[in-house]
Amino acid sequence: MTARYLIPLLAGSTLLSSMPAFADTDDIVKRGAYLARAGDCVACHSSPQGKPFAGGLGIESPFGTIYSTNITPDKENGIGSYTEEQFAAALREGKRADGANLYPAMPYPSYANLTDEDVHALYAYFMQGVEPVASQPPKTSLGFPFNQRWGISAWNWLFADAEPFTPQASHDELTERGRYLVEGLGHCGSCHTPRGIAQQEKALGGDSEAYLAGANLNGWWAPSLRAGDGDGQGIESWDTQAIVDYLETGRNVHATVGGEMTSVIAHSTSYLSERDLMGIAQYLKSLPANPTSDDAASTEAREQSTDETAAHLTAAKNLSKGERLYIDNCAACHFNAGEGADRVFPQLDGNSLTNAENPAGLIHTMLAGARPPATSKIPAQLPMPGFSWRLSDEEIASLATFVRGAWSNDAGPVTAEQVAEVRDSLGDTPLSRAPDPNGSLNHEDGGQ
Amino acid sequence: MASQPDNMSRRAFLRGSATLIPTVGLAGGISLTAQADEPAPNLSEYQPVFFGEDEWSFLLAACDRLIPGEHAGSGPGALDTNVPIFLDRQMDSPYGHAERWYMEGPFDLDGSPDLGFQYPYSPREVYQKGIAMTQQYCRQEHGKRFEQLDGDTQDAVLKGLEANDINFASLGERQMQASDFFSHLLENTKEGYLSDPIHGGNKHMAAWKMVGFPGARASYRDWVDQHDVEYPLGPVSLNGERG
Repeated sequence: MTARYLIPLLAGSTLLSSMPAFADTDDIVKRGAYLARAGDCVACHSSPQGKPFAGGLGIESPFGTIYSTNITPDKENGIGSYTEEQFAAALREGKRADGANLYPAMPYPSYANLTDEDVHALYAYFMQGVEPVASQPPKTSLGFPFNQRWGISAWNWLFADAEPFTPQASHDELTERGRYLVEGLGHCGSCHTPRGIAQQEKALGGDSEAYLAGANLNGWWAPSLRAGDGDGQGIESWDTQAIVDYLETGRNVHATVGGEMTSVIAHSTSYLSERDLMGIAQYLKSLPANPTSDDAASTEAREQSTDETAAHLTAAKNLSKGERLYIDNCAACHFNAGEGADRVFPQLDGNSLTNAENPAGLIHTMLAGARPPATSKIPAQLPMPGFSWRLSDEEIASLATFVRGAWSNDAGPVTAEQVAEVRDSLGDTPLSRAPDPNGSLNHEDGGQ
Repeated sequence: MASQPDNMSRRAFLRGSATLIPTVGLAGGISLTAQADEPAPNLSEYQPVFFGEDEWSFLLAACDRLIPGEHAGSGPGALDTNVPIFLDRQMDSPYGHAERWYMEGPFDLDGSPDLGFQYPYSPREVYQKGIAMTQQYCRQEHGKRFEQLDGDTQDAVLKGLEANDINFASLGERQMQASDFFSHLLENTKEGYLSDPIHGGNKHMAAWKMVGFPGARASYRDWVDQHDVEYPLGPVSLNGERG
């Protein structure tokens, strides 16, 4: 066990006990910064108004709110006094420096696959490349029995096995690189793998059918990432370049990112090299798709339904309320065939969020709109406006019901009650404010 | 409204042009008349924010002459579509206050029309002074207020304003001509009639329905290559009201 940590320590330092006595090269710190991006550490370990890595973000769990910790190198409040061995144990085993268990909101079951070399680079970055912040985030205090951190040991024994990464001979090198990132730092399974009765991810690696098979996350459907050939909805219809484009920019020829994934792209995947992203894409394509249901339509039947809906909307006669609402509110961007436009407007035909069993994400997007992230490759953020000011619960329900059954989509209807529930949960929705007739346009207009 | 040849011919023209533009018709048979979130107010119950009671009476009468309504048997008019409400709301907007206009002199009443307005008044003041002058003229000339005159006489007064046959200077207003006021009134009345209902007029998009304008749909790509096919959809407003 210890030998694993000794090698980098000996390689980079003169004194084992003092920290950080070794001087890592800039390259190693930079590499650590890159890996921290891949792990999206900043997403959870920063609060909205706080400094990077200073912690304090409240993460809702079924057991209560878990506050993220300060992981800056501040000795009092952060992890500045962690040795590399303690740092590695936190990452891979969920152990605090004092030996207490971390809550598994920290994805250490995924990070367990990290190589020693990468742990070392991350350590170098967090000790030397991150600004220390002397602030103490709120303490996590869950109710009994979840405040008994020792209990997590049993959970760990059951569900987390700290297995280092071992390449599979059946995959090529790039695909294996992708697997290392997806299963490890990327911790994609935290959201995309269904969880079991103890909130554990049902699988931590691609050898299980449950792995990345799609899961509900705070009401949103985090879709299946199993991208092998299947019924052709969502990621199954994407090629590797489409997956790379999506992770790099939040947009591709099929879809535009929404919900929690927006921040993942903004803060993590848009920083990854195209080579790593291609590895991720190849690995996801290597995962066999979720089994299709017996009554799944054939490709020909799906294409025919798509054509039928498009023709009906184009003729614009004998429209249902949902169809009329689609023409009045959606068709200008998503078009009658639901095809959207490459990298600009997402395709609704076959879209995983549109077809999710739980329609909350779709309803949320209709009500509150969505703004893709600004990435270095596509800085522009052409947002979708929200319609909460313009459409009633009944209208959103009719519209969502139509969209979920239009073209080749085959998802169930939506009720006004479901819409009301999502509407009640919305906070401020800056993308969905009624136009002010006397607003700036009128100002600019200058009169008659 | 035999006394309204001009209005009738304009209406006929609008109707005629509506046959060139695809006409509105819900041939599908499904009623898609919408529920607006806040139903448009009834003109008779509306309490003006800017205009005083006397000014309001003038506006109701004048708008009704400029775009006569259902009672004249000629489709929705200014009063049917809440145009006076549009005018009242505009007076309270940046436009009414001339907030972004150059309002310093010099002003030259004899200046070329190309040079724009030549009076130091915001639209609020244009209406207040214009209505006051017109009422003063009606009292002097006819012994009645404008709204108490019969239709033909009201039309004659409006034409007098338009042609500057009514001399504001002789009534005491030396910085603005009668035609300045009239052009505001006519232009704003047309705007209220044809603009989106979000601004207070064009109640239930009645004017759009009449001329066959489909409103704020912004989506006609699929109609570019549909030749000789009647456009089947009624209008939609910014607020999502469907007609």
